[in-house]
Amino acid sequence: MTPFELAEPKTLKEAVALLDADDPTIRPIAGGTALMLMMKAGVFRPSKLVSLSAIKDMSSIETVNGELKVGATTPLAVLERSDVVRKHAGVIIKTLRTLSNIRVRNVATVGGALAHADPHMDLPPVLIALGARVVVQGKSGERAIPVADLFAGYFETVLVKDELISSLIVPAQNGRRAAYLKCTTRAVHDWPALGVAVSVAADGNAIKDASIVVSAATEKPGRLVGAEKAAQGTVDDAGWRRAGEAAAEEAELITDGQGSAAYKKELVRVYVARALRAALGAQ
Amino acid sequence: MRTINFTLNGEQVSAHVAEHQSIVEILRDRFDLFGARESCAQGLCGCCTVLVDGTAVSGCLYLAAFANGKSITTVEGLATNGKLTPIQEAFLEVGASQCGFCTPGFVLMAGQLLEAHPDPDDDDIRHYLSGNLCRCAAYPEIIAAVKLAAGRLKAGTT
Ligand SMILES: Cc1cc2nc3c(=O)[nH]c(=O)nc-3n(C[C@H](O)[C@H](O)[C@H](O)COP(=O)(O)OP(=O)(O)OC[C@H]3O[C@@H](n4cnc5c(N)ncnc54)[C@H](O)[C@@H]3O)c2cc1C
Repeated sequence: MTPFELAEPKTLKEAVALLDADDPTIRPIAGGTALMLMMKAGVFRPSKLVSLSAIKDMSSIETVNGELKVGATTPLAVLERSDVVRKHAGVIIKTLRTLSNIRVRNVATVGGALAHADPHMDLPPVLIALGARVVVQGKSGERAIPVADLFAGYFETVLVKDELISSLIVPAQNGRRAAYLKCTTRAVHDWPALGVAVSVAADGNAIKDASIVVSAATEKPGRLVGAEKAAQGTVDDAGWRRAGEAAAEEAELITDGQGSAAYKKELVRVYVARALRAALGAQ
Repeated sequence: MRTINFTLNGEQVSAHVAEHQSIVEILRDRFDLFGARESCAQGLCGCCTVLVDGTAVSGCLYLAAFANGKSITTVEGLATNGKLTPIQEAFLEVGASQCGFCTPGFVLMAGQLLEAHPDPDDDDIRHYLSGNLCRCAAYPEIIAAVKLAAGRLKAGTT
């Protein structure tokens, strides 16, 4: 790694002030698990890193007006063990147990898991399916961005370089049921070839409304509105398979080390139906 | 460069470090502690495991600067007055290492496992140790050692 400066501001405001909208060599560092890899590989050579670790009040978990609010520097392991999170959206906990390993989760943060924007990551599709949003602090104030709109492309977000995610908000789920499935092929490395997150409002097995999100196989995680429509009103396997067909037609799949687009299309077909079934808890 | 002060295996220490150095580099270069070693350099293999305030991290992904004010424990800090911990004893007895390169990481992660799950089932064991790789594939013996240690620790505390 090449030398850099390290700033350790005590407040969010100070941290934002240390960033520079026009200087990509200055970046925030939270857990550092993703940045360290990029720096070791030489793909990122910062002039300055702004550590978020010393900022108070940025790592709490609470419910506010029925919504789950998680501070951006909350370690993933803390989220994983939170009863508040379990009650609000248990799918987050299930997902975290399959994310990396315990040591990485002890250090990696919620903000980093979103801002890193690697399309293979697990939390973004789940949070999109849950209708979550992030609160972002910039020099001129705060704005909220739905996680569904956070990603601009491969490893890219819509955040300006001097903006920081301060918290994540997951709205009340009102009985919606959710599931996340990923398919990891024995390919180049352990990143999944496909991730599918779904959230459904349903009466028994009858789906009234579905949120269907694919990741890993696409350039960025995103909803498949055509498949969501196809899922609406379905009550059984035949219907969920139709939603899977629609998803396979709709998703813009990429060929990479995890598999060809043609292969991933078959995966999408199967996994969307499976994810709907899993969310419903149907046999 | 900056000076960091931290507790290392129970002792107050300080070190002059560069911002871009990892904790595992500092432990090896300045403190001659070779138990934590960088192997995959990506947080996947667990060979560089150290505890920060009692919580396991990958030392190769952890900046030394972040250790300031914290308490760091390495495998060398586990034994008291030369007496190995029940987990270390169990690893020795069962022969849970061949080349031994990964052993410090496994011993530390096994400690984390048994703190959280004194009576671990196979799923718990796999969950805690899935981030540690043993290229000699001594996994059956490692799991046996963890179970042996768990039994003894439980017997000792009840
Ligand atoms: C061994 C290993 C295995 C992994 N396996 C998985 C896996 O199975 N599934 C998965 O989903 N992920 C996996 N990951 C990726 C992991 O989830 C990320 O490394 C982690 O979430 C990043 O969080 P961090 O706090 O460490 O971020 P950092 O490394 O500190 O930062 C990452 C990026 O986010 C930016 N950033 C951080 N916080 C903020 C903020 N509050 N506001 C704005 N920008 C911010 C940084 O500037 C940087 O660009 C793995 C990583 C490793 C090392």
